[in-house]
Amino acid sequence: MPAHKLITLAEAVRRYTWDGMQYASGAALPVGSDAIVFGRELLRQQRRDLHAIFHANTQQLNLLAAAGAVTQAECGFSGLEGFGFANGLRRAIEQGRLVLEDFSNLAMALRLLGGALNWPFVPATVNIGSDLQYRRAFEPDVHPNPNKIPSVTDPFSGKQVGAFSPLRPDLAAIHVTLADPEGNAIMLGTEWSRFELSRAAKRVVLLADAIVDTDCMRQYPNLVRIPGIVVEAVVYWPFAAWPQASPGMHDVDEAHMKAMNVALGSDDGTAAYVRDYVESYADLDGYLDLIGRETISELSNGATAFLLDPYRRWLLPHAEALALTAEASA
Amino acid sequence: MSTDYSRQEMMAIATGREIRDGELAIFGVGLSMLAGYFAQAHHAPGVRAMTEGGVYGARPVGGLPWGIECNRLAVNAVSFTSALDALGCLVASGRCDVGIIGAAQVDRFGNVNTTGIWDGPIGTRYRPPKTRLTGAGGANDIACGAKRYLIMVSHEAKRFVDRVSYVTSPGFLDGGDTREQAGFVGGGPSAIITTLGVLRPDPQTHEFQLDAYFAFSGVDEILANTGWDLKVAADARVVPEPSPEELAALRRVDETGMLRR
Repeated sequence: MPAHKLITLAEAVRRYTWDGMQYASGAALPVGSDAIVFGRELLRQQRRDLHAIFHANTQQLNLLAAAGAVTQAECGFSGLEGFGFANGLRRAIEQGRLVLEDFSNLAMALRLLGGALNWPFVPATVNIGSDLQYRRAFEPDVHPNPNKIPSVTDPFSGKQVGAFSPLRPDLAAIHVTLADPEGNAIMLGTEWSRFELSRAAKRVVLLADAIVDTDCMRQYPNLVRIPGIVVEAVVYWPFAAWPQASPGMHDVDEAHMKAMNVALGSDDGTAAYVRDYVESYADLDGYLDLIGRETISELSNGATAFLLDPYRRWLLPHAEALALTAEASA
Repeated sequence: MSTDYSRQEMMAIATGREIRDGELAIFGVGLSMLAGYFAQAHHAPGVRAMTEGGVYGARPVGGLPWGIECNRLAVNAVSFTSALDALGCLVASGRCDVGIIGAAQVDRFGNVNTTGIWDGPIGTRYRPPKTRLTGAGGANDIACGAKRYLIMVSHEAKRFVDRVSYVTSPGFLDGGDTREQAGFVGGGPSAIITTLGVLRPDPQTHEFQLDAYFAFSGVDEILANTGWDLKVAADARVVPEPSPEELAALRRVDETGMLRR
């Protein structure tokens, strides 16, 4: 029986992150699943100079960029979908504090797949012929740039295609709906690129909305797209994706999505946001208090709550999940 | 016939009319999703709609989804997969019949910029934009891989430029056969649908020209709001106004009234 992998969020950041690392997160687009609370903890522990690999921007990257913790980033979509432009990220780019290398959303998934398979490159039939290929923010003086998505010859047809560089981030913090104590995980909703990311990253930490008994995984093994054998640690943290949505668990917090993005639109607003929503809580229960128990109850009663029904009998009670976590730290 | 509709609604309906029943279609968030689901609600019930997150079989509930992975879509999906599946296996592969994308800027050859606004040409050295936009998202993948795609954009001179400063999603590049030479899987943009009318590419030069205008607009207004010397098709005509059935279908989809603000 393998030892369980539950540790605290603070311990996960202490153990697996460092200044200047390649950090990957941003699991399911700007409105969905993302390990946003991991980014809050990166700021609490004052990590700097991060090279962020986000398949698509989220409020996590928006916050890390606004707070000055990221100097390089690579992503596909860089906005907040229905919530508009990502004010923190856009300001950091416009002011030259953060260099963003642009790709498309498929390109990021393919590059993660390339990293996962340890391929030398991935053939590119998208992003070619556009400025995504010709402009390289990390090497701005060379134009048209031949090093970002180099042209290669298809050995079968003789035609020119592009070559994507694979991604192998130092760490991926991946949000999942359900994890067991060994790190087997089920994701509800689109997995976006969490499957590829979990195999591409050198280390994986899961942020789980709920901890379940391993019998749950034995009942639905086809749905366990991230098995424990690729996972270093599991952090139990309900509402880890807040203010974004976690299908089956909770809806998007529209008011906070908007207020947060307004705050990240200025230095003063960012400082106030970090003070009030990053540094202000002592632990998980303090964090849930900060969101507000009433808000939590409203967001949890969304139309997708039925998605969780098949799994409810295996959910570990809050106190039990916390006790398992505490056991590991003792 | 109804005159009680907004310009945005006319744009969405004109875009939806381009979608045919049974097609495999991909819609982005926002206006393009409304146009696509309008088509499904009105004349294309068998359209096989997907989002780039691999959310299949869903119809939005409770208003316009905040994102393509929003719970307003997750609530009745029949399959959740991934970006690699939707954008890769179904779009970049060439299987997808039609996509809809938006634009901050579009040029005479249908190239789209959603990356940034610079003060003049970028120059040889790449530099941060004055205003950073949302980047490529899945639009580049749709522009490269879909059999055809539609561009929806508000018709303003600052958006309709002679040459976009950054090509985020390729249209017909420099016109002529330049797109063909670049070796894309997909066929390129088939129409630009705006708040004033519909532009379509010339079959040879691939330069977009004015194909039709709306009942409330006209050739002069469109020329005045286009930043290049837009050619007008010899048979340019007025687009039929929305029927009451079309408007009703659109408003059922646009439950929160995004297009009437």
